[in-house]
Amino acid sequence: MVSENPHLGSQPEPLQEDSDTRPLSMTSRRGPRSLPPIPAASRTGFAEFSMRERMREKLQAARSKAESTLLQEIPTPRPRRLQSPSEKELETEFGTEPGEEVRRTQQEDDSQSHSRVKFRDSIQKIKSKPPVPPGFPSAEEAYNFFTFNFDPEPEESEEKPKAKNKDGTTQEEEEGEEEEPPAQGIQKMGEDELLSAEAEDLLWGLGHTAEDLVAVRPADYESVHVRLQMEKELLFVPSRLTVPTYKKLPENVQPRFLEDEGLYIGARPDVPRTCQNIVENRLLRQEPGGRWFGDDGRILALPNPIKLVPSRPPMLPQERGVKAELETLYKKAVKYVHRSQHMIGSGDSPGNFQLDVDISGLIFTHHPCFSREHVLAAKLAQLYDQYLARHQRNKAKFLTDKLQALRNAVQTGLNPAKTHKSLDTTQKTINEYKSEIRQTRKLRDAEQEKDRTLLKTIIKVWKEMKSLREFQRFTNTPLKLVLRKEKVDQKADEEAYEAEIQAEISELLEECMEEHEQKMEEYRAAYQEWKAWKKAQRAKKKKKKQAVEEQPEDEIEEPYPGEEPVKPVPPEPTYRALLEQQVRERAARSRRRPGEPTLVPELSLAGSVTPNEQCPRVEVLRREDVKRRSIYLKVIFNDKEVSRTDSRPLGADFRVHFGQIFNLQIFNWPESLTLQVYETVGHSGTTLLAEVFLPIPETTIVTGRAPIEEVEFSSNQLVTLDHEGVGSGIPFSFEADGSNQLILMTSGKVSNSVAWAIGENGVPLIPPLSQQNIGFRSALKKADAISSIGTSGLTDLKKLAKWAAESKLDPNDPNNAPLMQLISVATSGESYVPDFFRLEQLQQEFNFVSDEELNRSKRFRLLCLRSQEVPEFRNYKQIPAYDREIMEKVFQDYEKRLRDRNVIETKDHIDTHRAIVAKYLQQVRESVINRFLIAKHHFLLSDLVVEEEVPSISSERSGILGLSLFKLAEQKRPLRPRRKGRKKVTAQNLSDGDIKVLVNIIRAYDIPVRKPTASKFQQPSRSSRTFSEKRAASPTTHSPTHSADYPLGQVLVRPFVEVSFQRMICHTTTAEGPNPSWNEELELPFRAPNGDYSTASLQSVKDDVFINIFDEVLYDVLEDDRERGSGIHTRIERHWLGCVKIPFSTIYFQAKIDGTFKIDIPPVLLGYSKEQSMIIERGFDSVRSLSEGSYITLFITTEPQLVPGESVREKELVARYVSLIPFLPDTVSFAGICGLWCTSDQFLDLLAGDEEEHAVLLCNYFLFLGKKAWLVVGSAIPEGPTAYVLTREQSHYLIWNPCSGHFYGQFDTFCPLKSVGCLVGPDNIWFNIQRHDSPLRINFDVTKPKLWKSFFSRSLPYPGLSSVQPEELIYQHTDKAAAAELQDRIEKILKEKIMDWRPRHLTRWNRYCTSALRHLLPLLERSLGEDVEDDHSGELLRQLGDYRFSGFPLHMPYSELKPLIEAVYSTGVHNIDVPNVEFALAVYIHPYPKNVLSVWIYVASLIRNRY
Amino acid sequence: MAEVHVIGQIMGATGFSESSLFCKWGVHTGAAWKLLSGVREGQTQVDTPQVGDMAYWSHPIDLHFATKGLQGWPRLHLQVWSQDSFGRCQLAGYGFCHVPSSPGTHQLDCPTWRPLGSWREQLARAFVGGGPQLLHGDAIYSGADRYRLHTVAGGTVHLELGLLLRHFDRYGVEC
Repeated sequence: MVSENPHLGSQPEPLQEDSDTRPLSMTSRRGPRSLPPIPAASRTGFAEFSMRERMREKLQAARSKAESTLLQEIPTPRPRRLQSPSEKELETEFGTEPGEEVRRTQQEDDSQSHSRVKFRDSIQKIKSKPPVPPGFPSAEEAYNFFTFNFDPEPEESEEKPKAKNKDGTTQEEEEGEEEEPPAQGIQKMGEDELLSAEAEDLLWGLGHTAEDLVAVRPADYESVHVRLQMEKELLFVPSRLTVPTYKKLPENVQPRFLEDEGLYIGARPDVPRTCQNIVENRLLRQEPGGRWFGDDGRILALPNPIKLVPSRPPMLPQERGVKAELETLYKKAVKYVHRSQHMIGSGDSPGNFQLDVDISGLIFTHHPCFSREHVLAAKLAQLYDQYLARHQRNKAKFLTDKLQALRNAVQTGLNPAKTHKSLDTTQKTINEYKSEIRQTRKLRDAEQEKDRTLLKTIIKVWKEMKSLREFQRFTNTPLKLVLRKEKVDQKADEEAYEAEIQAEISELLEECMEEHEQKMEEYRAAYQEWKAWKKAQRAKKKKKKQAVEEQPEDEIEEPYPGEEPVKPVPPEPTYRALLEQQVRERAARSRRRPGEPTLVPELSLAGSVTPNEQCPRVEVLRREDVKRRSIYLKVIFNDKEVSRTDSRPLGADFRVHFGQIFNLQIFNWPESLTLQVYETVGHSGTTLLAEVFLPIPETTIVTGRAPIEEVEFSSNQLVTLDHEGVGSGIPFSFEADGSNQLILMTSGKVSNSVAWAIGENGVPLIPPLSQQNIGFRSALKKADAISSIGTSGLTDLKKLAKWAAESKLDPNDPNNAPLMQLISVATSGESYVPDFFRLEQLQQEFNFVSDEELNRSKRFRLLCLRSQEVPEFRNYKQIPAYDREIMEKVFQDYEKRLRDRNVIETKDHIDTHRAIVAKYLQQVRESVINRFLIAKHHFLLSDLVVEEEVPSISSERSGILGLSLFKLAEQKRPLRPRRKGRKKVTAQNLSDGDIKVLVNIIRAYDIPVRKPTASKFQQPSRSSRTFSEKRAASPTTHSPTHSADYPLGQVLVRPFVEVSFQRMICHTTTAEGPNPSWNEELELPFRAPNGDYSTASLQSVKDDVFINIFDEVLYDVLEDDRERGSGIHTRIERHWLGCVKIPFSTIYFQAKIDGTFKIDIPPVLLGYSKEQSMIIERGFDSVRSLSEGSYITLFITTEPQLVPGESVREKELVARYVSLIPFLPDTVSFAGICGLWCTSDQFLDLLAGDEEEHAVLLCNYFLFLGKKAWLVVGSAIPEGPTAYVLTREQSHYLIWNPCSGHFYGQFDTFCPLKSVGCLVGPDNIWFNIQRHDSPLRINFDVTKPKLWKSFFSRSLPYPGLSSVQPEELIYQHTDKAAAAELQDRIEKILKEKIMDWRPRHLTRWNRYCTSALRHLLPLLERSLGEDVEDDHSGELLRQLGDYRFSGFPLHMPYSELKPLIEAVYSTGVHNIDVPNVEFALAVYIHPYPKNVLSVWIYVASLIRNRY
Repeated sequence: MAEVHVIGQIMGATGFSESSLFCKWGVHTGAAWKLLSGVREGQTQVDTPQVGDMAYWSHPIDLHFATKGLQGWPRLHLQVWSQDSFGRCQLAGYGFCHVPSSPGTHQLDCPTWRPLGSWREQLARAFVGGGPQLLHGDAIYSGADRYRLHTVAGGTVHLELGLLLRHFDRYGVEC
């Protein structure tokens, strides 16, 4: 390239100029300078391409020469930018690339460049057509290419002509910038020439060699010195030296310093001096004429634009300056704790707060051990305190000053010269001032008088004390009063005194004058009136006289006596002398006499106390007593003792110093904070002296800022002491004769301070305000008024406020500022400063409707009640959209319930006690349910997610694949079927009919068999066993000899089972014999109450499944024997034999019930007896020998299986009495919530409870009787988890079912208790750790540690816990009359019910039978339902021989009427529809103490025998 | 006595750097409002997105308000929390938005933020979890000198709320 650029040297001069004149543009162009060498590679490609293009064009041009001439004629605009590339190149190379520079300087040599141009020209001339190999650019082209700015394609046409300018002439033309038009012609010619030459070139041949084009030359080199020399010439390096000022300024101008002239010049930006110098030098050289310099010869500069202070707020460190509410707390990532409330606001509290209670000490203002002197001393101290307080306040002085100020004001006001106001206003203000003066004066006088009296009293008490000390000849207290006299200037004082009195007198006089004036005015007016009246009166009288004369008969009109005005008395004028006397009197009373020295009392403890030896005995005794006493305080927080102070001895001065700070870590906002003052006397014990209620501090009070406050306390205890001590609450006197008795109570002050602690980061540890609920806030408010100001201050403040309002205190007076503040506090209503302001002030204005209207809306009410799950509305489906569509009666039930909450309704219960209990239970239930309604909304994962168990690979079936394979091969009915778990259904998507109760009746044992119908005259054979025999279990056979007597030759008994549930009845087929086997499945639909299938609702289903066993009896009713051959006419009767009752809740919680149950068979079943013989044959010998009842084997479950709620259990009985207490499962009361264990007395009061209560009571009775008894906690059938009682007889154990009163031997197969979890004794609890838990297989010997793990062991000895049970139970006699009445009512109701149940039949009552039954029932009760059958049935038969009857007594504990009705209904007695049937029903109630009632109901149906 | 039904769902959240997210929410109203039915507050499940980075909760909100005034229109407070692999929870963002006041279905995006804390706390948060939380939740919506609080943007919670208004026209409120 270097070699190809020689011509560039031809114009160095203009270049230099350029660079000089445009220094700035130079810099701006620095960018492209370095560019040219880099894109070379890419450009060659492009060059090649354009080269060919051009060739082709030229060729074409040659061909059409003729036309082309014409074509060329068209003037093409001369491209101006041709110059720019070269210029640019030059410019850019200026001064930066030394090598180039050197070369350039060389080129400056004219001759040289000229010779070069010539040389090239000559070459061109010699080789006019340099042979260019095809496809390669010629030298010129290459040159042009490199010097060209290759612009976008469209300009190519312009390039064309230029590209062909090869000669020096054209080159010159190119250089000559603006001379294009004249040069056009020449160029054209050249071009033509050129074109033809080129064409020739191309046509001519390709045989040129490289030598023709290349010239070998040595490398150019300039020596460094030369180069440096040249650089020096070319380059300008500004000097760093300071430029003299004259150079910078125009000639003959002196520098001006504006600043010196007083003009403002901003601070210049800070630039180093050297830099300034360089710039100045450069500017001077580069642009000498430029106005770069100011008058002072410095470079012009704007003031420094940089602000001293950054305007962007700095990033404050987090720790400081953050407002409390924006505070953040770094919390560690924690595992999620299940909280009852997971809410935004409430969940944020850190949880531990701290309250610091500082108890510094205690001072008694009175104590029983005070001696008389102490009493006086206390009084003196109190007075002195009062004095000090008054002195500090110095109200008298304040008022005096005010008075003075007011007087001055009046003076100035009276001076008309000074006031510019209208006379009216002046007068007005003066009047106001005057009235104010009056007020103030009065107040001042009162204050002064008070001060004086106080001082007098202090002196008096001190004198008394002194005399007392003298009298008793010893000193108890170190108190000493010194009266300091302050001398006053008598004269001045007198003057002031006199002046004051004079002023007062004049004021008073003026006042009196005014008053007098006023009164005179009044008097005058009154007098005028009176005069006028008098006149009128006189005129009237005159008239009257005339009238009387005229009509003497006329009654004289009497004037009303009341109306007659009294003649006014003129007011007396006041006399100055009198006034003066008054004023002086008052002054003498309330003021220091002039010249009298000011007395300043000073109380000190400088006195000495007489030592013990010098005191009389009584006093020594007293002092010793004091020494024996010590005091401590308990800190009670929210009614709980949290800490107590050390016990400190009572000092001789009756002060106790504690100086203890208690840090109470709390979680909630405190409700109360109390200190209890306890006194210990010697070792005899402590007495609670008093309670001190401390206010809860405001949230602004934090530790360190809290002032020590004194809280007063007093106690009303009466103490008499046998020594000098005056006692407490006891009258005593200082006088010898006992007059002027005083009664002082123990009292004192606790100095303490309560404040919130400050956490580590300076945050007060205060519970958030949200925790202060409403009720509590009001409590706080109440406490606040007293606490913040003090009880005594409260009244004062009010007075003060009142006074302030009256006296028109100047609120702007800075003296008054604290006062005004105080007053504003006091007057802002009950001394409570609200710490809030109302955000929604305009709420009321913007409301659509009032609150009342909103609350009145029935629709909203209904919606709310529904969402609150109020029982009445819990499952309310659709709520009308409009209020008018909602009936008022919707709420009736609910409102009635709310109203009746406290009204005891005896209608349903007959017996008042039970009514109360029922009410109480209802309330307990409600409150518990309400509490758990909230908790119910808590779901466990299992409540929400039904997770199918993933088949585990390790199970016996090998893997999932294997499982499915095996399934194919599985037998359809395997020999050993495996029980498959049923899928449990959560009770939500259920509806009526979805749930069924499945009852599988398998078999029964020992069903009673029929006895032959005996006639009235037959003595019944003793076919039945006596109960005494039952334990002996002699297998005496009673062969069914009389079976022949059965009608139609029936078997002993044909039992079938009827299952009734929710009044739906299903029954099995009839089997035969006393040990029938049915093996049938009965299906009963289940309906949940209100269609509510929620867990809670299902749990509270109170329905029982009744499993009744009946005997089906066929009677031949054919009356005509002739038809026997052709027809059978029988009547089927069914006789109730017994029942098993299983509550649905049991089924629900157990999921299934599987086992053998004892059938509840009435003690007397007329016409039936127990048949024994059959069992033996079946090999049930061992079993039978242990049993004495009938049993039925059942399996009950629900389909589909329901997921039971979380907890709970069922029922049982005890010995007789205990079993008579009605059973009320917790489950029913507190659906699925919890089990409540009552103590025995509560249980007896409630007369209802579940198995735990029964068992506990029974166990307690047994223990009382001296038996060894334990509570067994285990599970039984059908109750599920339950409690039984275990007693130890001589050699064996008995298991008692507390709810039924039945007992079983340990090895009784039919014992309902199926597993034993633990035993609870009176002093320990044992857990079963044996292999088995069935009572049959376990050892009850709790002394063996391998079998029973005890709760209290050697490591944890029995701490001797006190029992929660009461010491003794109190029993009341039950009112027999009430019982009898109840009995009658029940009988009547039952009879009505039976008649109701037989709507289509006539129900006849057999009175005879009824009375017979009625007589029998007490016998049954007496014999406890046993051992009576024979006599009983015998008697019945004797009396009712002509009847065939079936009947039985039912025995129940009495709770309410409904269960009785249900029980009677379930026996189905009423179902007999034999036309001539008669009924008998008798009820007997036996009252036991404590209102426990045993109810017997005897129901029988009778059919008259026809023979 | 106008009524407002707010029926909708908290769809989910995007843009959180943490993955397993859950949301605590609460609706606050002024004194003039009365909740007739529905729950005011709740908490969603923890969602760990498997595909994409949006955590879906689809947590239903169903509230029925009665109001005697327009003031104190219901507003939603959100707290997004994240649960780490140890089952520990930490705050991922606070959010706040008003329930729309026009009837119809609304798609709401509620951006969230969380306090930044000092550099120590940031460091601790990055390595051991936890993080600064507001001591007083009110700061989420109260305007008191909030600029002092330095926060970091969290992600966005997406809500879809349907509004049913009733009887507003009776009181001169057009909607």
